[in-house]
Amino acid sequence: MATKQIPLADRPGARAALRRNWDLIWSDGLGRLGVILLGVVAVIAIFGPMLFPFDPKAVGRSAADILQPPSAQHWLGTDELGRDVFRAALAGSRISLLVGLLATAISILVGAVIGLVAGYYPGWPDSVLMRVTDFFLVMPTLPLVIALAALFGQSLGIIILVIGLTGWPSTARIVRSQVLSLRERQFVVRIRSLGASDLRIVGSHILPNVLPLIFANTVLVIAGSILSEATLAFLGLGDPVHVSWGTMLHFAFVSGATGRGAWWYFLPPGFGIVLVVLGFTLFGHTLDRILNPRLRERG
Amino acid sequence: MFRAGYLARKAGQLALTLFAVVTFNFVLFRVLPGDPLQLIARSGHLPPEAVARLRALFGLDRPLLVQFWYYLRNLSHAQFGFSFTYRRPVSSILAERMTNTIILLGAATVFIVLLGVGLGVFAAARRGSRADSGTVVTALVFWSLPTFWTGMILVFLLGVWLHAFPISGITTPGAVYSSWFDQTGDVVSHIFLPTVTLALVDIGQFILITRSSLVDVLTEDFILTAKAKGLSRRNVVWRHGVRNALLPVITASALYISLVVGGAIQVETVFSWPGIGRLIYDAVLRRDYPILEACFLIFAVTVILANLASDLLYQVLDPRVREA
Amino acid sequence: MRARTVAALLMVALLVLTGCTRSAKSGSTSLRVGWSSEPDTMNPLTTYSTEAQEVLQLVYDKLTEYDSSLKPEPGLATSFEYSSDGLSITYDLRDGVKWHDGQPFTSADVKFTFDLIHDQNLSEYGQWLTDMTSVDTPDASTVVVNFSKPQAFNPGLSIPILPEHIWSGKSAEDIQKFANDQPVGTGPYTFVQWKQGESLTIKRNDSWWGPEPAATQVIFVLYGNEDVMAQALKAGEVDVLTEVPPTIWDGLSGVDNVAAVSIPSFSFHHIGFNMSTDPKSQGNPLILDRTVRQALAYALDRNQLVQLALAGHGQPGSVLLPPAFGKWQLKIPADQQMNANPDQANQMLDAAGYTDTNGDGVREAPDGSPLEFRLIAIESTTVDVRAAELFRNAAAKVGIKLDLQTMDENTLGKTVYNTTDWDIFVWGWDSGVADPDYMLGIVLCSQIGGNNDIYYCNKHYDQLYDQQATTVDEAARMNIVHLMQQDFYDSAGYIVMWYQDKLQAYRTDTWTGWVQTPGGMVFNFTRDNYLNVTPVAA
Repeated sequence: MATKQIPLADRPGARAALRRNWDLIWSDGLGRLGVILLGVVAVIAIFGPMLFPFDPKAVGRSAADILQPPSAQHWLGTDELGRDVFRAALAGSRISLLVGLLATAISILVGAVIGLVAGYYPGWPDSVLMRVTDFFLVMPTLPLVIALAALFGQSLGIIILVIGLTGWPSTARIVRSQVLSLRERQFVVRIRSLGASDLRIVGSHILPNVLPLIFANTVLVIAGSILSEATLAFLGLGDPVHVSWGTMLHFAFVSGATGRGAWWYFLPPGFGIVLVVLGFTLFGHTLDRILNPRLRERG
Repeated sequence: MFRAGYLARKAGQLALTLFAVVTFNFVLFRVLPGDPLQLIARSGHLPPEAVARLRALFGLDRPLLVQFWYYLRNLSHAQFGFSFTYRRPVSSILAERMTNTIILLGAATVFIVLLGVGLGVFAAARRGSRADSGTVVTALVFWSLPTFWTGMILVFLLGVWLHAFPISGITTPGAVYSSWFDQTGDVVSHIFLPTVTLALVDIGQFILITRSSLVDVLTEDFILTAKAKGLSRRNVVWRHGVRNALLPVITASALYISLVVGGAIQVETVFSWPGIGRLIYDAVLRRDYPILEACFLIFAVTVILANLASDLLYQVLDPRVREA
Repeated sequence: MRARTVAALLMVALLVLTGCTRSAKSGSTSLRVGWSSEPDTMNPLTTYSTEAQEVLQLVYDKLTEYDSSLKPEPGLATSFEYSSDGLSITYDLRDGVKWHDGQPFTSADVKFTFDLIHDQNLSEYGQWLTDMTSVDTPDASTVVVNFSKPQAFNPGLSIPILPEHIWSGKSAEDIQKFANDQPVGTGPYTFVQWKQGESLTIKRNDSWWGPEPAATQVIFVLYGNEDVMAQALKAGEVDVLTEVPPTIWDGLSGVDNVAAVSIPSFSFHHIGFNMSTDPKSQGNPLILDRTVRQALAYALDRNQLVQLALAGHGQPGSVLLPPAFGKWQLKIPADQQMNANPDQANQMLDAAGYTDTNGDGVREAPDGSPLEFRLIAIESTTVDVRAAELFRNAAAKVGIKLDLQTMDENTLGKTVYNTTDWDIFVWGWDSGVADPDYMLGIVLCSQIGGNNDIYYCNKHYDQLYDQQATTVDEAARMNIVHLMQQDFYDSAGYIVMWYQDKLQAYRTDTWTGWVQTPGGMVFNFTRDNYLNVTPVAA
């Protein structure tokens, strides 16, 4: 007898859920735009520096090579040291993305752990952790990040750490509220009364239901981390040895590129940042709507 | 109106958070490496005795706990200490800078509320349409713009290229005004670009928040009832929808202050606006602890109070809670 | 919808208001100066900022002033005379001078000021009075300052005279806290107002003893960054800029009605080596070998540094005194300088036994330790970071590895001055006065714990310093100063990278009469330009 094939979209299981969500994202205009932007940026970041490597030591030979407009030799002109802006921008994409992704990893990890613990153990662990979370929400982020960067120095690792350690409150809150509601659900209550260990409950039953929300939140945190790195670098607190989009904008600003109209220097890195952040934001925004069923129905 | 227990609990939480902030403040800035006095000694060509004298003046030669005690005691008298850089009371420095930043924030808030909330309502009322998604995309683009970069572009386009607006300061230096109107006009022309730059990111955010909460509300039952009663769309959206949708917006506003501080630092840097943001940045570079402590404290307290206010306001406005 | 109409109305109102602002004009007898950093305090005894001194030099007078060629000219003292044994200086004071608050100025004020500074060794002025023994005031218009040793440098050129009736009775701690918000001096300008973070205004003192300056007001305007400051000059918002970074200055050349000037300065940027011979020092001992330091000096191309880090706006560095010092600077012929000669560096290192035994591109000493050193620079000083990178590349070419780390200025200062846990740094110096004494005195043994940033101690050099400080005859003194420079240059305690030009700019259509004094038209040891410029005839 012929078995009826259940369409992929209706099959149960994680892979099917993933496929379903992907289809939803792709069919949404904004979601599609976000994915495309991210794809473009990924290609630029991965292949760009391979095809057009940047040599930070390839400085100009004299003052006449500085801040020159685009030419056949330098597609996006030169910077204040006479170096090729196009290649610098390609190299910078990697650092900007790297910092954003790694810092987010730290934020998500810290936030998820805190959120899980706070949500699962109400009472004083929850209270204390939520006070701490609120405290970090209350402290204005940028001054805190500036102060911490000044405290620990300006290497790439420190900057990643600093951005990561200030970006976790939103994740913690989301995770906590989800864990709280899951904890009281029937199936969890039943399993606990059967004597399953906390670790097992969290690991097998709660975590899988929280992961999609964490994922959606992660995407938005990445956007924020990339913006944070750019802002820190612009204010002169980035790692001066590694080129990132933010440091390019910093040097453009302090060397007077704005006043001299050297648009080739300060426009491309900014556009890069906007595209990346927009890509993640569109993607995350759409993901949010998909995973939050109420939003999906309404609008 | 509120139960005494609720208020007491809130007050207790407030006090705890405040104390945590104060302590964290103090620890953070004492732990920062780099000795401000060393830098001063060299650039000011100072002999070692003068440096030692300064150190004693600021109590930097005492153990940390003693310094903490002095710090708490001074705070209780609303004394924020002496700035290392300017060697005058921090409160005198903060007063004028604060005013300048508040002016800027005030102007930006007007923009944000009018455009952000206004466009959010506009989009929600037309949800699903092209106007709606267009607005949402615009909001998301605004949200993705780095504030400092927007500032740089506006400086270049409107300031340098078109000479349409001045690009720094609050007023034209050495200006002589023939009337009050003139003076206001001067300030307005100086404040325009920084305000737009500062407001842009938050306009995007508020459009989204307003729209999504209004969309939620607009599909609630009581709205359907109002529609069934035959009330006009304007009536439904404004009178019934917006008032209830404002709740999440108010909550967001409490967080707005911590968001906008970051923006203010960037805008004040790009446009040389003599405010608190710029002061903080310079103070970090020069390790001027007293100024930093004071500013952080003020921000933290403001946000805490704003949170408290919005919590209370929420209690008042939310019909569900009121019924309970 | 209503919201849209409201928004539209607001826009219209905005446009109307901004449109009407064109009528705000600046007073044509106001001199507007733009700078990117503001004073810290108006107290001359506690200030550390150049900006503060720029203002204070107009509010306070000195006994002797520098004119626009940096030669001494009468100030509050119409003349001064050294005694025959060189141990006293007698100043004849001007009559009829009044403080800004109307009180009369007398010799008691001078005595008070000198005694105060000497007794408490206050601020940078203290160093000129260390040998002072007493101050006599035979009458209200004469002051005799007595020293234990002859003084080559006339302290009247440096010390602002303070009013006794305002400053007396203050303890050392009081003075530290005294903000001096309304400074009272005898100078050509009186203090009006300081809007912190915005601008500082002073207005002309119509009862000043000197010729009346043309500017009725001087307004110092603060800009958050140099690019905007340059835009402001172009837009006519200010008349002159105190200091402009190289690439921004390039953008001002050729602009209508703006003159961009480049003037030799009293400053340099340098590479410093940890020369501490303390056995507990945490510096790499290999740096104590003069061959290594000289090899690094040979490896570095100063011209390239000037081209790339300064966009060409400077002179390649060599000796301790910058070219603004004129004849005091020792001129070493180019072919005798340790500069831009990596072959020579390689030879020297080979001959001294430093070879690359394991083929990793880095030389090792005979005992196997590699020629690898830590290099630190201030991250916010872009030119230093650039220079450090170029230095690192140059060193690599002669087999020396430099590990570059940037840090903020405070941390670098603390590391260099309070610890020995460093090897090489990049930093800079500005001279405190227009006399070579200050810069020569930086690397004295006695300045370890003071200005000496490299733990340098050379008794021979110190002896020469004492000699020149007490030699009043200029020619003889100049010889000694040249010897000192040669001595220090050979020791390679510093590698002076460049002497940056003072880059300034001014509008040609508002004020005229700017003299390009070595060290700068403004932001210099003389205030003459402020006093002598006149408005351009309309």
